[in-house]
Amino acid sequence: MEQNYIIPILIFLPMIGAFIGYGIGRVNKTWRNHWACLVTAVVFFGSLSLIGSDATFVMENVCGLGLHFETDGLQVVLAILAAFAWFATTVFSEEYFAHYHNRNRYYFFLLMTLGATLGVFLSADFYTTFVFFEMMSFTSFVLVIHDETTEAIKAAGTYLTVAIFGGLVTLMGLFWMYHMAGTLAFSELADFVAAQEDVSGMYTCAILILVGFGAKAGLFPLHIWLPEAHPVAPAPASALLSCILTKSGIFGVLILSTKLFLYDGTWGYFMLTLGTITMVLGAVLAVFSINLKRVMACSSLSQIGFIVVGIGMQGILGSHNALAAGGTILHVANHSILKVVLFLSAGAIYMNLHKLDLNDIRGWGKDKPFLKAVFLMGSLGIMGIPLWNGYISKTLLHESIVEGIVMLEEVGQSALYLQTVEVLFLFSGGLTVAYMTKIFVAIFMEENPYATKEVHHKSYISKPSMIALGIPAFILPILGIFPHQTMDVIADFSYHFMGAHAPDHAVHYFAWVNLKGAVISVVVGALVYGLFIRKVLMQTDANGNRIYCNLVPEWLSLENKVYRPALLQILPFIGGFFARMAGNLVDGCIAISRILVFNSDGAKFIPGEDQYFSVYTHAEAPKKVYHEDFARSLMMVGLGLAAVLLYILF
Amino acid sequence: MNYILLVPVFFPMLMAGLLLLVPKEKEQNIWVVATLVIEAILVFGLYLYEDATTTLWRLAEGVYIAYKIDGLGHLFACLFAVIWMLVSIYAIAYMKHEERPRQFFFFYLLALGALMSLCFAKNMMTLYLSYEYMTLLTVPLVIHTREKQAVRAGLKYLGYSIFGAGLGLLGFFFLHIYCTTTDFVAGGSLNTLLVAGNESLLLVVAFLMILGFACKAGMFPLHAWLPTAHPVAPTPASAVLSGIITKAGVFCILRVIFFLFGADFIGGTWVQKTLLILILITVFMGSMLAYKERILKKRLAYSTVSQVSYVLFGILLLSPIGLMGALLQVVFHALAKNLLFLSAGAIISETGETLVSRLSGIGKQMPIVMGCFTIGALSLVGIPPTAGFVSKWFLAQGGLSETIGFVGVIILMVSAFLTAGYLLSIVVHGFFPQKEEMEVEPEVYTENRYMTVPLVILAFGILCLGVYPSGLQNVITEIVTHLF
Repeated sequence: MEQNYIIPILIFLPMIGAFIGYGIGRVNKTWRNHWACLVTAVVFFGSLSLIGSDATFVMENVCGLGLHFETDGLQVVLAILAAFAWFATTVFSEEYFAHYHNRNRYYFFLLMTLGATLGVFLSADFYTTFVFFEMMSFTSFVLVIHDETTEAIKAAGTYLTVAIFGGLVTLMGLFWMYHMAGTLAFSELADFVAAQEDVSGMYTCAILILVGFGAKAGLFPLHIWLPEAHPVAPAPASALLSCILTKSGIFGVLILSTKLFLYDGTWGYFMLTLGTITMVLGAVLAVFSINLKRVMACSSLSQIGFIVVGIGMQGILGSHNALAAGGTILHVANHSILKVVLFLSAGAIYMNLHKLDLNDIRGWGKDKPFLKAVFLMGSLGIMGIPLWNGYISKTLLHESIVEGIVMLEEVGQSALYLQTVEVLFLFSGGLTVAYMTKIFVAIFMEENPYATKEVHHKSYISKPSMIALGIPAFILPILGIFPHQTMDVIADFSYHFMGAHAPDHAVHYFAWVNLKGAVISVVVGALVYGLFIRKVLMQTDANGNRIYCNLVPEWLSLENKVYRPALLQILPFIGGFFARMAGNLVDGCIAISRILVFNSDGAKFIPGEDQYFSVYTHAEAPKKVYHEDFARSLMMVGLGLAAVLLYILF
Repeated sequence: MNYILLVPVFFPMLMAGLLLLVPKEKEQNIWVVATLVIEAILVFGLYLYEDATTTLWRLAEGVYIAYKIDGLGHLFACLFAVIWMLVSIYAIAYMKHEERPRQFFFFYLLALGALMSLCFAKNMMTLYLSYEYMTLLTVPLVIHTREKQAVRAGLKYLGYSIFGAGLGLLGFFFLHIYCTTTDFVAGGSLNTLLVAGNESLLLVVAFLMILGFACKAGMFPLHAWLPTAHPVAPTPASAVLSGIITKAGVFCILRVIFFLFGADFIGGTWVQKTLLILILITVFMGSMLAYKERILKKRLAYSTVSQVSYVLFGILLLSPIGLMGALLQVVFHALAKNLLFLSAGAIISETGETLVSRLSGIGKQMPIVMGCFTIGALSLVGIPPTAGFVSKWFLAQGGLSETIGFVGVIILMVSAFLTAGYLLSIVVHGFFPQKEEMEVEPEVYTENRYMTVPLVILAFGILCLGVYPSGLQNVITEIVTHLF
């Protein structure tokens, strides 16, 4: 097939640009910033040019098996989203990082990560995906740890550990997959799985592959890194982590679900369960958190859960999965844009106040209409309020669950499980409303009882940053008001990749059936906010003011209670015990025979200052270990007799 | 007869002798580097003399010293010569702080001669002789500092190596009878008439021989010399011990399996299974002990124990794809481990810190060294696009075709995770120190240019081979197809 040279330019231009930018940055910092913006802009427009092209690009023999790229509809959508988010955050970075150190390093790894991420999204086989996925994990690690505070180092360590662990398990799955199928190309894998009579062996393999991608997406139970890493990273970086990097995990999950196990109910239920747990868990954590960026990180977790629920429903609905497929991809797109807006708004707050605790930043946004409007757009979008974009995708997802229930009832099976999922879905939607209201009210509507005297800056946000924030925020209601002209187009574009067909008739988003779901969620949200957040999660402090409290006890953490002790103490202890036994086997035998034969312990000593040795002679005259007397001779005779006896017997 | 083959073997030895006559230190350095550059060019040039043979000295019928070039030997010789050259550049800077540099370089050059002799050995006799010389000539490198611990470590090294070589020699005695010829023949040269009925005896012989040579490669249970001897040697010596000398053991095992017994004779027997189990124990043990180790160089030595057993794993799978992975791993591990040892040495000689925990923040002071260290570490873990990923891919593909290999691949993955734990933690703490654990004093350490140049070359090599391994793959494919 024809080679499309836009693809390698998109991937490798940022990587080369990273080096050039580093060079420029050593001379002139402003030009370096402009250069980074220019590169991301070029990549953004380049990615737009991929629309409608069904192109491929192959680099034979590179990295062993060769790198293969393609541009199926969904991949282009993801690439455009990535490029757009990068462009917006890079523009915003200039102001955010104005007083930071190590900016050269930041820009270098920012651009490297862009290239790697696009490599993931445009890959045509798992091998290529994995190569870029690993690169992305390592380059984004530097973005997470950028602040170099104690929390950042700890969180980034968790991130790296989860990424490496996930990567290796995925690699194991890929080894196995390649061994079985002889290929890793998505299209050929689909044929291979379709030809299998018994797919149960493939499930194990696919679950191994899922670990790495699921970990990156933030799926339970490997979500632990996400609420830690997002808040400590600089805001532009956490925006990218949340918007795009999690989606690279989702991309892997999508390949598994739509290429390998297309229309597979078992796999669908498995994904549905994981998605539901993540969705509820994230929402609950978000309600309890009082750190602005942590709320949003948990919110990302929850939204990822929504997306994976959609992926699960695609499997369950079989070939009638247009609603689920559309809901999935649209929620991916919506969540990406929403989180750019929300995280960059948080960044705008942080770069002025250097605080993120809700009690500290409370009331800061009251007299800042621009930020208030932008944040409101983002909040309404993510809440799923009609006329904003989040509503569209959530409606589709909800409809797909309803459709699943109807389908099961038609064939007379119990739909209890799906009904539970539906309830949890609406409940999580309600929690979304609750926690977003909580943040919005706290920052933009309440008075801060402990407000420090506001130093009047000339302006709290620069013009370029305003544009970077304003444009994505402006898109949100447009997408929501004209869903057929905008969102349906994106969905149509992506159906082919996911093996779905466009629905027979356009969905009436604003029909009462669909509005009902949103209304239920809003009511639930209002109740949770009014009865739980205001009453329970806000307590009166010593001065009689109501403040936000974090009621989740410190010890209730999967990471600190299970993963860290297991990984850092228990397993190394057990492993180390056996390894030391094996390691000292021969040395030990030599030492014992030395005692027995020469009656000398070699004046064994364990020097403190000399780290190279454990057991070596030091003293001039080795001392005797045992007395050479009659008792010992008798013992030796006895041992000899026993040996002879054993020899005769066997 | 083609005497050109004697040149790479005896040229470094001759130059080592003449080195003793060179008076000034600076001239000595130039002498050494020039010798090794010429040597590397010579070895690569032997590519023109494919299948040349030379007989040097006949002792008795069937016992003679002879050299021959074949693909496998040439691959190893090229690798050894290049690494030896790069390390020598580093050694010049490093040995400035040590005593008796002349003595060090004397044995350093001699040892390369022995290695070349090993690579081009045509028969068992030559191989054994070169192997023993290699051991004896590297002992002075280990005990170079003449401290008590170094001498002790040298003796331990000597003891284990001689014991291993003894097992190898034992095997040669048997094979002298049971093989049609003492020369190395691709595919093995067992005399089927004589072997019939004696298979079990020969299997024991094969097991002992491989075990003996695997001592040099650091395989359990004869690995214990490695973590003792490597850390006490001066860094250039420990780098080549870890990166190259262990590969000499691997090379002998390849000769024994594929050129004497033949893969078919060992395949599917208890020898293969037992050795695979021992290898997998080594892989896990090495990584685990490295993870637990606090001394940087010793950690790297344990890492070698584990990583060289990856190679043995690939070889003992006795399949073309496994062997492909093994030979790739030979090259990539040699590059990465030398890189790691040399970076560690650069840090230690500059800061004087040997403990891992005291290296926090070193990346800020010595960015190039730690940057190269990072690339080496990523390659050992097997992260694309570094070279280690490619070899791991082939090793795993080879492993999955066997039942025990499947367990093996899982252990390789556990080991990779541990490798990340013990190497990347150094990198992370080096570049991103916790504020309170800034152990390294804020004084600025400088990077010596002679030290960083070989580091950068090695790091660049790892990346290039990782991104475009097919050139090397083609060479190896050719070797492998001859053996199966």
